[in-house]
Amino acid sequence: MDFIKSLATAASGLHAQAGRMRVISENIANADSTGQTPGAAAYRRKIPTFRTEVDRVLGADVVALGRVRTDPSNFRKVYEPGHPAADANGYVNYPNVNPLVEMTDMRDAQRSYEANLNVITAARRMLERTVAILNA
Amino acid sequence: MPISDIPMLSMLRTKMHWHQERQQLLAQNVANSDTPTYRPVDLAPMDTSQNHPRLPPLVVRQTDPAHVGGALGGSPEFGVDPHGGYEVRPAGNAVNLEDEMMKVAANQMDYEAATTLYTHSLNLIKTALGKS
Repeated sequence: MDFIKSLATAASGLHAQAGRMRVISENIANADSTGQTPGAAAYRRKIPTFRTEVDRVLGADVVALGRVRTDPSNFRKVYEPGHPAADANGYVNYPNVNPLVEMTDMRDAQRSYEANLNVITAARRMLERTVAILNA
Repeated sequence: MPISDIPMLSMLRTKMHWHQERQQLLAQNVANSDTPTYRPVDLAPMDTSQNHPRLPPLVVRQTDPAHVGGALGGSPEFGVDPHGGYEVRPAGNAVNLEDEMMKVAANQMDYEAATTLYTHSLNLIKTALGKS
């Protein structure tokens, strides 16, 4: 039944986007998580990845959240000599999280999530119309 | 003659099947709207011309009059058009969500038209039988 496949594929999309939202919220929550010891590394921004997967039971190409990678870019350096994580020169490593990037990412995830919901609604409605033939 | 062999109904059935398959591909496109290097796919337009007679579907052989006949769902294979998407993003993904939403809506409407026509055709038969 192709409609069931459509529903399952869209559901996999919902799942993947929800996972992406989780990673984004981790990044935003940890936007100021510095290290504890002098010169220690701060929280590193995480990047969700997606990959296409063949669901053998369904015979459909579904999407799955791949490995969550870390952003290797440099930390923000802030001059705060009194901070417990300040190095010898008084600089503290702040996470390489850019709130603006996270916000755009979040909107993108939200949009994709809604698109998947739309597909589910459409497929369900089509299924209902098929069943309605029985009432003819 | 089974009711599904009436040309009108079998045509509508093929059309519904086509829309069903298309819905599956569109769902796949939307789900993969953030997958790197994914290119959207779509079905090739349905070929309704009678110039290409399709092979008859496989039929279960009835070796005894008491056997129930029936066609094995020999699903007509619809061609897939892989040339979708010209707006490729840096990650190699070419899914345009707005485009896909339009296609989903159009697909749904066409499907509903087909089911309505199917219902009305059945009503016609009922009228002919004098049962409605």
